[in-house]
Amino acid sequence: MRKARVGLLVAAALVAVPLTALAQPKGGAQQDTPKEVNLDDEPPADQPVDDGSDTGGDTGGDTGGDTGLGGGICDITPEVCQNQDFDKLAKRPLNVEMYAVQQIYALRYRRFEVNAYGLQTLNDQFVSHPGGGLAVNWYISNVLAVGVNGNVYGNAVSSFNFQTSRSARVGLPITEYQWNANVNFSYVPAYGKFAGFGDFIFHYDYFVIGGVGAISTRPIAVIDPDNRVFEFEPKVNFRLGGGIRIFFNRWLAAVLEVSDYIFFDKLENPQIPAGIDEAQNSDTWLAEGTSFTNNVQVQGGLSFFLPPTWEYRLPK
Amino acid sequence: MGTFTSRFWSSRVRALVAAAAGAVAALCVSSTADAQEILLTGPLAGAPAVRQLRLHREGRVELAPGVSFSLLDEYQRAIVPGLRVTYHPFDWLGVGVWGGYGFAVKTNLADELQKVGIDERRCADNPSSKACRLTEVNLTRAGTNPSGDPARTGQLADDQLASMTWFLAPQITAVPFRGKIALFASLFADADIAFFAGPAFIGLRERKACGGTEDNGTPRPACSQSFSLTDRVAIAPTFGLQLNFYATDFIGFGAEFRALPFSWNTAGFDNHGQGQDNAFPDQKVDGSDSEFKFNSMMSVYATIALPTKIKVTE
Repeated sequence: MRKARVGLLVAAALVAVPLTALAQPKGGAQQDTPKEVNLDDEPPADQPVDDGSDTGGDTGGDTGGDTGLGGGICDITPEVCQNQDFDKLAKRPLNVEMYAVQQIYALRYRRFEVNAYGLQTLNDQFVSHPGGGLAVNWYISNVLAVGVNGNVYGNAVSSFNFQTSRSARVGLPITEYQWNANVNFSYVPAYGKFAGFGDFIFHYDYFVIGGVGAISTRPIAVIDPDNRVFEFEPKVNFRLGGGIRIFFNRWLAAVLEVSDYIFFDKLENPQIPAGIDEAQNSDTWLAEGTSFTNNVQVQGGLSFFLPPTWEYRLPK
Repeated sequence: MGTFTSRFWSSRVRALVAAAAGAVAALCVSSTADAQEILLTGPLAGAPAVRQLRLHREGRVELAPGVSFSLLDEYQRAIVPGLRVTYHPFDWLGVGVWGGYGFAVKTNLADELQKVGIDERRCADNPSSKACRLTEVNLTRAGTNPSGDPARTGQLADDQLASMTWFLAPQITAVPFRGKIALFASLFADADIAFFAGPAFIGLRERKACGGTEDNGTPRPACSQSFSLTDRVAIAPTFGLQLNFYATDFIGFGAEFRALPFSWNTAGFDNHGQGQDNAFPDQKVDGSDSEFKFNSMMSVYATIALPTKIKVTE
């Protein structure tokens, strides 16, 4: 009879354990006063590291004692604890509510992101535009940011342009880029974490970005280089892009992004008017209308989040 | 002297050994610290990196039908419906094969060249014009081909532009990164990042060699009279990166970047063959006119894993 009573107590304790594992459900924040915890701080030397298995509270999870096994049941009936394989019990499946990503590793809310990057244009086969840029974003929520970015470009006419012109006797209008600046909104729709080789964990997110700005370009004179000299001129551009950010720690991340800067370019006139005066008239140098241009570029660099630390509101 | 030398070398060796040991120790220490940083300070402190990992790949065959799009093409793109079949003896390693058939689609440059260089130039009516004489080796005109080849249509895509027609690539896939993704903080899925590499066999349709002679001395037709396409197989390394997402235990989707670097003559032009570094045209179109291209593709695909039942680690 006494064994039966003890068995019931053990069963009750085991049922209570999964309940205590739900110590941080969604609703916990409303029920309890959030405790601010800085995750970058080392725990005090006299406290064990919180491994998420704290079963405290009134639900019977007080581990008590040195062994941490059985709790009050073991105090009442030590002989039962001696007959239980607690390692085996600990491995039993628990139907616990878990989130795929329990906690966002690097919060962005009210932080600045300073992103320095190198860039390479992808879709201009005739002129390569390598360069660099800097972006600054301010996160008005954890997923939404407003910011600015600027790019400066170099220009290198490719051998492909020369070969096509030589082989086909066709002059193809080409363009130099000088700089580009934008005001942007970015949104982080997805974030997650990866385990590398089943050993270490790193966190990442995907973001999309859109903006409006200006890009300064000018034609490279290939049709009539003897008479035509073009000046850089800014044009309105629109930006659409997206990328991935991989966090090394809570304030440093690698960023890889593809952005399309869309603008209406002015190209060199493929026709040369008759007569030297007309040929040297700058009003005749540009082709009529504009050319819809996609400047697709890949950007890779590092992001620094400032301030580097923050207070994490963690319901306990 | 000998004692001094041996002492000198002995001290040098000791110093080197000590330096090497220090470096190894430093590397070990730093790598261990990096690996454990999150575990020590994060909310899951003390827990193993991964628990109850769902093995989406181990012991399963993965079928991945999809479509690939070539990137940064000069004259013709390839749109490639294809299938990848991979068997994974381990969750982190697989062997498989990818194949597909390529449909060629002209780029804007090809259209512009057709319009300006061929249609508007009307070389059939003005064969002696300077532009027509200087491009007769490089730009097709309607007419007949010697040697019984199909007639020239006067269209670049029919007569001289190269395209990738089929692909077959046995490959090894490594999956070093396994994880999860949260979309809009409400949809969750398992995810992984995989790398693959292997040899690729690519069916190419290129401009048939013309001008000069064959290896056996047989003269080829003049390039100004010969514009036709022929098939060959290129063998190249292929490698790339996959992002995979698992919507259910056996159905998922993903995207892949694949590189296929090899040399080919995309335009069918005579660009090389004589002069310093073969940098000047030689009135012949042959292997010397091929140029190295870092061909690349983006693919999107669905994945179906068989058997449908999934294993889970402890």
